Amino acid sequence: MIRFLLAVWACKMLIIAGRMAGKKSSSGPGEIAMKICPDILKILSKKVKKQIIAVCGTNGKTTTNNMICSILEKKGYSVVCNKIGANMLPGTVTAFIEKTGFFGKINADYATLEIDEASARHIFKHLNPDVMLITNLFRDQLDRYGEIEMTAGFLKEALDLTKDTTLIINGDDPVCAAIAKDYGKKVIAFGISENADINLDEAKEGQFCKYCGKPLEYEYYHYSQLGSYKCPGCDFKRPEISVEATGIDISDGLKFTVNKKNRINVAYRGFYNIYNILAALAVSEQINVDLSDINEILSDYKPQIGRMEKFDLGKPVILNLAKNPAGFNQAIFTVLADDKKKDIIVAINDNPGDGKDVSWIWDVDFEKLSDCKVGKIAYLGIRKYDLEVRFKYADINKEGKVYNDLKTAIKEMLQKDGEILYLLVNYTVIFEAQNILKELEKEYRKEG
Amino acid sequence: MSYTLNIGHFYPELLNLYGDKGNVTALKKRVEWRNMEVNVIEISENDEIDFNSIDIAVIGGGSEKELLTVLKKLQNVSADLKSYVESSGVVLAVCGGFEMLGESLFLNGKKEKGLGVLNMHSEQGSKRFTGNVVAETDFGKIVGFENHSGRTYIENNAPLGTVVCGNGNNGEDKKEGVVYKNLFGTYLHGALLPKNPELADEIILRALKRKYGEDIKLAPLDDSCEERAKQYIVDLCR
Repeated sequence: MIRFLLAVWACKMLIIAGRMAGKKSSSGPGEIAMKICPDILKILSKKVKKQIIAVCGTNGKTTTNNMICSILEKKGYSVVCNKIGANMLPGTVTAFIEKTGFFGKINADYATLEIDEASARHIFKHLNPDVMLITNLFRDQLDRYGEIEMTAGFLKEALDLTKDTTLIINGDDPVCAAIAKDYGKKVIAFGISENADINLDEAKEGQFCKYCGKPLEYEYYHYSQLGSYKCPGCDFKRPEISVEATGIDISDGLKFTVNKKNRINVAYRGFYNIYNILAALAVSEQINVDLSDINEILSDYKPQIGRMEKFDLGKPVILNLAKNPAGFNQAIFTVLADDKKKDIIVAINDNPGDGKDVSWIWDVDFEKLSDCKVGKIAYLGIRKYDLEVRFKYADINKEGKVYNDLKTAIKEMLQKDGEILYLLVNYTVIFEAQNILKELEKEYRKEG
Repeated sequence: MSYTLNIGHFYPELLNLYGDKGNVTALKKRVEWRNMEVNVIEISENDEIDFNSIDIAVIGGGSEKELLTVLKKLQNVSADLKSYVESSGVVLAVCGGFEMLGESLFLNGKKEKGLGVLNMHSEQGSKRFTGNVVAETDFGKIVGFENHSGRTYIENNAPLGTVVCGNGNNGEDKKEGVVYKNLFGTYLHGALLPKNPELADEIILRALKRKYGEDIKLAPLDDSCEERAKQYIVDLCR
């Protein structure tokens, strides 16, 4: 008990100190707490009154997890949530301690936790999720995880540790569907049940049957490996979908109907956000949250930093995180769906948080940016020269330029002819980009 | 005289990991920029392969599950592939596509018979080699990114290069890749050819020479941006 309280205090002090230093990282305090009291997560997670939700998957984790948190908080619940995406074991500990008082009492009805795919098998040794969500599995940071099958293996290891856990998956993703099939216990699938006609010419992954090796046949297909599929060689197919979207309209914001009843109408950008919303709805339904006012809740929800985040610098500037081919191709699709004439900044770093390997940029369909509504393109980040080469070989006849400094690039690109400026950046660029844009927005407002 | 090259892109929908598609893009563009014709023939799972219609065969890397499918497909035409290589057919094979050309390799933890095109074999290593690689070759310094747990031993064959930085074929003999006649095998992704234009041009020249029987001079291109990207990796290795 003493160790437990000591751990709580140490962690809380470090959180406060970190905040005073203006730091956003939240894994450090949790790491110290674990050292002082290795069982701290076991103790704290048992004190959650209702349920624990774990959110895994390559893309959309942070958005979906925060959406779930936002729904629960709107309903008046107290929620443990690792909002800024520190999603390994220490970050999870920090999130719990943030909600814990100095006497070790935790006030939490729910915990909704974004969890790194490779860390789930460690975290589930400390806590048992009532619901586990897998949003999708795409290729991402290959130098860290090897291959997509390895990630699927990690998640299966994690699921083997669980008890009475409901698994919620993206049914349009055959990789997730195979995990669910092997899981064999309670599974709920969500999906987009009509051809939304977004065709991207990109590298697919996982479109071969995991059970018999035959190429899956698609009735229609959305992006990456997502769609309605079945195996011609065995009985593997898209599972029965219990939370499904139809009547998709992405011309202005996102509109779609869930289970032929509820019409969702939100001002978000990006087709992939339909999946994020469906996932959040599926989780909410599973834990019996009333969703009659879902449109209001969603419109109040503020997207996380750099998820098609909008700034006003005299002309609109959109900042978007994209860190793998699937994410980037979706971002490009969203950019092109915008009718306005635009200029684009692309920035790629290769820090540990990004992955050292940038080979994946050759799997991104940058060729699509030959569109006449695209004006100038700027290349930034540590791997700016790789981007320059990639765009040279995309051969799209856009005037491209390498910049060393992001702020200079943003200022110069604002002077170009476009009506809107897009920033497509990977993980470790996003915080710098957001800070600069906030600062420039403040300056712009002051100048009126 | 007008020249045409046909690039055979082997199983792009299976071997699509790690951006190796960039090699096809680089070859295609560098041929086009010399005002020559180029066709990319995408060979998919159920296609018959006509090696007579191919001037450059490009085989990428993939996940182990998909590599096994490809290996089984190619085993049916391994004699044709071998005679293509022996008759100086040009090949670029990367990572799993490279390992496959030897006598044996490991896939999904199991030893598999390779295509036997080259006298070499691959073992299973305990640690995965991931990281940037710099190697000295007859075609200048090349850079790329390796990501493999296989260890390849090329016996008496010539390597593509000598490792300056990184692990290469097996982390022991400082060798990276293999060159046999006009076959280039390598562990390097990146994609390899866009950042190594000299090697890309060497592959194009050899394909032209084999097809047209003459030494053709390629018009010089401005490769300064490729060189800058390469220099970044070279500098990392200091």
